[in-house]
Amino acid sequence: MATVEKTLILVNKVGLHARPAALFVQTAARFQASVRVVCNGRQADAKRILPVLQLGAEQGSVLRLFAEGPDADEAINALTRLVQERFGDPE
Amino acid sequence: MTPDRTCVLAWLRRSAAALHEQRDYLTSLDAAIGDADHGINMDRGFTAVLDKLPTVAEADVGTILKTVGATLVSTVGGASGPLYGTAFLRAGTALAGRQELRPVDALAGFEAAYEGIVARGKAQRGEKTMLDAFGPALDALRAAIEAKQPFANALRAAADAAQAGALATTPMMATKGRASYLGQRSIGHQDPGATSLALFFQMMTDGK
Amino acid sequence: MAVGLVIVSHSARLAEGVVELAAQMTHGAVRLAAAGGMDDGGIGTSLARVTQAIASADSGDGVVALIDLGSAALIAEMALESLDAEQRAHVRLSGGPLVEGAILAAVEASVGSPLDEVLATAESARSLEKLKR
Repeated sequence: MATVEKTLILVNKVGLHARPAALFVQTAARFQASVRVVCNGRQADAKRILPVLQLGAEQGSVLRLFAEGPDADEAINALTRLVQERFGDPE
Repeated sequence: MTPDRTCVLAWLRRSAAALHEQRDYLTSLDAAIGDADHGINMDRGFTAVLDKLPTVAEADVGTILKTVGATLVSTVGGASGPLYGTAFLRAGTALAGRQELRPVDALAGFEAAYEGIVARGKAQRGEKTMLDAFGPALDALRAAIEAKQPFANALRAAADAAQAGALATTPMMATKGRASYLGQRSIGHQDPGATSLALFFQMMTDGK
Repeated sequence: MAVGLVIVSHSARLAEGVVELAAQMTHGAVRLAAAGGMDDGGIGTSLARVTQAIASADSGDGVVALIDLGSAALIAEMALESLDAEQRAHVRLSGGPLVEGAILAAVEASVGSPLDEVLATAESARSLEKLKR
């Protein structure tokens, strides 16, 4: 199965801090596809909160997403939207 | 005479009164190496026990002790709640249905209580805890009962051993409970839990 | 529904505060119950409060209880022993850090993870670095 890949830049102020990380994980977990996220030379399962927090992703960090599975496109789209909409934060 | 449920109830009342009187002393011991609440907690627990005793005035020894244990667990607050609570609950289970206590019954009750504290606290003797009073008391009680001494003498021996055990906690270094946070600095202070434990044994010998 | 969480603390306000923080992560998807303080409002842990909290956090998928210090662990163990065998089989105690463990476990539970994964996540919070080095 093909891997869907996407590169994003974190635009929200606090980065993948507790609440945004929780939303990120909760969004990834809605999909069957497996999603990996790579940042700062570290890799995390996008559905696991601790590894995602341990990425240490801050504002301006580059996130590379890799999704595999029947709904990989939808998963990448949903995560992209979340990041681009700054996790619902004003800044 | 063989102690019966009335003796047990009287012992609990005397213990409650003693804990109330020694409240500030126990708390001051705890202030040195713990969180300065042992006397307050034990007094609160046994005040609640006194309120509960009328509901078990006609009950067997096992039920009385189990009621004490359950009350302590929900009213003491600190670690003494689950520790003393477990001790009374286990003794109550061991003595279920008894109206009178032969010496071997009393010994079985104390052994169950001791094992309950060991299991709950994952503790053993030599760690500057209530077990350092309880262990010697149990040894003395067992030896006296096995030597067929009068029960009153056996209790006297147990109370003396408990008191000596409590005093002997002073030079120990705590390795369990809040006092263990202090490490070496826990040395030189008498353990409040061992002190209250010894008080319970003293109250078995008073008023005879 | 999801694995529920119980926050056992000597302080009612601390337990409620941790629940408040964790709830911000879960948006109602996870049952969170505070078991802090004594019935008279004093500092301490109450067996009755812990057993009630376990019952209210359990939707059938299990409960992870997190504890603050010392006697909270003893009380939580007694609460577990007081349950019948069937209930006890789906309650776990975590010795992980209270705040981080609760937040991480709440997120883990919110994505529908099973009991032992929620427990593992609560425990794993020990390795979370608070300060960037």
